[in-house]
Amino acid sequence: MDYKNQNLINQLTEDESFIRWAKNSNKNDVDYWNNWIINNPNKIECVELAKTIVLGLTFNKKSVASEKINDELDKVLAKINSRSASKDKISFKLFNYRNFAIAAILLLFISIGATLFLSSEKGVVHKTAYGEILDLQLPDGTSVVLNGNSQISYPKGDSRIITLVGEAYFKVKSIPATKAKFWVNTNDLQVEVYGTKFHVNTRKKKTKVVLDEGSIHLKLKNGLSKEMVPGDLVSFSKENNQISHKSVSKDTAYSLWRDGTYTFNNITFKDLMSNLEFSYGIKAEFIDKDLEELKLTGGIPNQNLKICIAAIEKVTGASVTQSNNKLIIKLN
Amino acid sequence: MKTSNSLWLLFVEGDEKAFSALFKYYYSMLHNYGSKICGNDILTEDCIQNLFVYLFENKERLSHIKNPNTYLFVSLRNSIFKQLKKRKAEERLAPETEQVISFEFSPEDFLIQKESFLSTTTILNKMLNSLPTREREVIYLKYYSGLSVSEISEVIEISSQSVSNTLLKAMKKLREGALKGVLLSALA
Repeated sequence: MDYKNQNLINQLTEDESFIRWAKNSNKNDVDYWNNWIINNPNKIECVELAKTIVLGLTFNKKSVASEKINDELDKVLAKINSRSASKDKISFKLFNYRNFAIAAILLLFISIGATLFLSSEKGVVHKTAYGEILDLQLPDGTSVVLNGNSQISYPKGDSRIITLVGEAYFKVKSIPATKAKFWVNTNDLQVEVYGTKFHVNTRKKKTKVVLDEGSIHLKLKNGLSKEMVPGDLVSFSKENNQISHKSVSKDTAYSLWRDGTYTFNNITFKDLMSNLEFSYGIKAEFIDKDLEELKLTGGIPNQNLKICIAAIEKVTGASVTQSNNKLIIKLN
Repeated sequence: MKTSNSLWLLFVEGDEKAFSALFKYYYSMLHNYGSKICGNDILTEDCIQNLFVYLFENKERLSHIKNPNTYLFVSLRNSIFKQLKKRKAEERLAPETEQVISFEFSPEDFLIQKESFLSTTTILNKMLNSLPTREREVIYLKYYSGLSVSEISEVIEISSQSVSNTLLKAMKKLREGALKGVLLSALA
């Protein structure tokens, strides 16, 4: 085909009137082009080709299911939300007395923005006070036990994207039909599961995950991924980029909180107390420093501080007395 | 003005509802296009997510963009290629295996119209997949995504003239192939 004909075809395929003729959609255009063809019989080949291009192929257009689109939108909004939250912190650091007025106005805007977002998009927040334990049933059927001084939040309409600060035990309901995933986001990592039981703790500037059942895919904030099998313990801190991945045995030091009970294995008295410090908002003070390194294995009920103290005294043989927000620990 | 364009205008002015509407409007289209490029749904979904997070965070800088159609297709295409290259590098594949774009069609992709010169989806599918990738992508963008010739030329960075010619060449091949196919099936 020569250049002239090719040009004609390109012109025809872009011509609105020609397109209407090809689609047989307007009588005037049909009449006009039929007449044109009669007067230009040597161009019939070009016209046929141009028509083929205009009509083209009809694709069977597949739409993504609207539930899926909504899920994906929620994920995007959650991402935006978590990133804008960390940006707010940066803005706070920029707070500067010299530019007090500007900063104040800026801060006002940020907080208005944040509250609007909290109420409209961020959706649901559950928070516990010191010493309070919350047993939650999420809309998707997942059960969460939230320890004291902890918080979970998720976007409205999707309780399978959780953000956790503090400590919680999850029993995720699997949805085999859709293979819907469940996510727990912390400052350090993202836990991705289908349906499992696991424990997450974000205290002490790191995130600890212990898997009881099922399997977990972890996305660490340093870009690495980890697969967990039951009995695995992974801890990761974004701050110093320290990873530890081990399988729990009778020699590993770990503590696990589930169903309102602290289970601990081979951990020091000091570590046990620091777990309690976070959930009850108390401070432990060791009068006898030797006690700090005492290795402990066992379990204590964690429903209230009094029972907790009694159990600790029994296990360690030490004396624990409460005074205001302090627990004084000494040898008996 | 097209609905998508007015949605885009509202979005760059900061309307959050327009952002959600835009996402829903484009999701299927972008998802299908992305999966066709890389053959990987998860990668596509990640790229779309990141694209929309980027849009939201940079909307002030996007007010000069008048045609969201082209912009979104180009951005998704680039981001998928970037990810594919990154993966290839991680897997340390030899350079000759670097056939990044796949663009495979399957028979379920087509509806057959009465007036169409093509009789069965299988023949059409076979012929389409035998075309060079570039031609396949042009056909896809034109007839599936409904982009215009000038939009396609921006997305895959070739001149409008080349887009038209590619389209012409491809459709000619299909037409000739179909005639042969019909003859062969008549002889059989």
